[in-house]
Amino acid sequence: MSYIHVQNLSKRFTVRKKREKGSLLREKEEVQALRGVSFDIGQGELIGYIGPNGAGKSTTVKILSGIMTPDGGEAVVGGQVPWRERKTYVRRIGVVFGQRMQLWWDVPILDSFSLLRDIYRVPEEAYQARLSELTEALSLKDILRTPLRQLSLGQRMRAELCGSLLHRPEILFLDEPTIGLDAVSKLALRDFLRWENREHRTTILLTTHDMEDISALCSRVMVLGHGSKLYDGELQDLLRRYDRTRTVDIRYGREGCVPAVPPSVVMEKNGDGFRLTYRPESYPTADLLSALQQAGPIREMTVQSQNIDHLIADMYREMDL
Amino acid sequence: MRACLSVFRLRLRLETQYRGAALGGIVCQIFFGLILSALYRALYFGKPQVRPLAHVITYVWLQQAFFRMLLSSDGDLMDKIRTGGIAYDLCRPLPLYGFYYARIMAQKLMGSLLRAVPMIIFAALLPGGWGMGAPASLPALLAAAAALVLGLSCVCAMENITMAFTMRTLDPRGIQAMLNLLMTILSGNLLPLTLFPDSWQRMITLLPYAQLLDAPIRLYTGEYALGQAPQVLLLQAGWTAALIAAGCWLWKRNQKRLVLQGG
Repeated sequence: MSYIHVQNLSKRFTVRKKREKGSLLREKEEVQALRGVSFDIGQGELIGYIGPNGAGKSTTVKILSGIMTPDGGEAVVGGQVPWRERKTYVRRIGVVFGQRMQLWWDVPILDSFSLLRDIYRVPEEAYQARLSELTEALSLKDILRTPLRQLSLGQRMRAELCGSLLHRPEILFLDEPTIGLDAVSKLALRDFLRWENREHRTTILLTTHDMEDISALCSRVMVLGHGSKLYDGELQDLLRRYDRTRTVDIRYGREGCVPAVPPSVVMEKNGDGFRLTYRPESYPTADLLSALQQAGPIREMTVQSQNIDHLIADMYREMDL
Repeated sequence: MRACLSVFRLRLRLETQYRGAALGGIVCQIFFGLILSALYRALYFGKPQVRPLAHVITYVWLQQAFFRMLLSSDGDLMDKIRTGGIAYDLCRPLPLYGFYYARIMAQKLMGSLLRAVPMIIFAALLPGGWGMGAPASLPALLAAAAALVLGLSCVCAMENITMAFTMRTLDPRGIQAMLNLLMTILSGNLLPLTLFPDSWQRMITLLPYAQLLDAPIRLYTGEYALGQAPQVLLLQAGWTAALIAAGCWLWKRNQKRLVLQGG
């Protein structure tokens, strides 16, 4: 039996719209946020949950964290139905909504933590132990007595994460935790998530638009689009499937050299050189190289595979999202 | 319960941080206290009224001193509801009504104490005919204090209902503008309720708004005799219980129909 079992989950929203510009009348429109999503997650997995804006990722997180009731389908997490046994269930989970704040703006973050301790009724000893562990891992030591409003975004996000983990949740739902963070903060946050996942076997569902997050942390990803699950499996397989083109930038030693390539290779002028995009499966790299060499003396040349954001963009395009 | 106490303490402490705002409030309320006192003195010199002038001026000062208890709302909490930050509170093992009640009470309690204590001292030191009078008797003072506690409980219950409605409409401004108007008139803040026509007073003093400050002040000045005190306190307690019950019900319903919008 899997730890998180989701079967055929669906959710509809009503959005009110103005009928047309200047009209005072409104009309209702139904938006199907989730149309029958199913998946299973084992305990201790760290899973990436991706998809374009509006795909239904946050809705899933809200349903699984017991805030929202679905219109149809079932979900059992650790033996409990989130929206039915809300009070006992929510003790076992931690949630981070990257775009919202749970800590108090005008008080030192330590005071917000004490409030969370009382909300979850964490015994003092356990709280102190956990707090010092998290303070160490998230390097919060120097800012514990600083009000939230005086912290940078990166510090704030680390503090928010600490707040969500004080009660030792078995499951952590992260909704865009790295939004707006600089490179150093992102790396620190990723290290921490990996550590928390390994050390405490915390099951983590990570929603993000940052593909670097996913490739650094998750071996398994689920792709959501238009409220349906489109892919579920290894990240590497997904990438291999869409990572089919290579780009070559080339400059020749003298003017007037133009390589002769078949129409399947897209060639465009790039400064005083060329950029060629090709698929190794339809035009072997060796053939391309000899074609390039025949055109003249090569001064410099680089070969690149696509970056992960482009891949995902291509994938979304192909899936018609 | 532990969570409610904890948020109460935290909000109390937070309120003490806003000392500049408290000072500004004191200056503003003293200004209004003086203006209104001058106004009623002029009115009484022109045409003496049935109610003693000293009572009216005491009424004015006490209303000004506890102004913060009536008209203030927790901006952070409103923002949380409006922007969806409340999502965090919803995925916690919390009795939402009690949690917010404790939070609102802490804010109103500390907010009004910070202002009322210096203001009452100031108003008591003013020369006769301008300042606040002494309580009718020691028992009257105690009865007034008890009534003030009930008044505070009652106003917090009212505020929590406003919050519950804000969760529906997502914008507190409309309902707040309307409720604030009712509040300033019917609580006696704009014009002491004791100066309303007697037939009106019979009605108005039964409303919840009159339970907040009007009832305690009347006990203080002796407008309500001590013998009436049990009846007054009972009415206050009745309203408080009814409003708390209504608020609980609204929050329960809110939680059921809740939809959180946006990423």
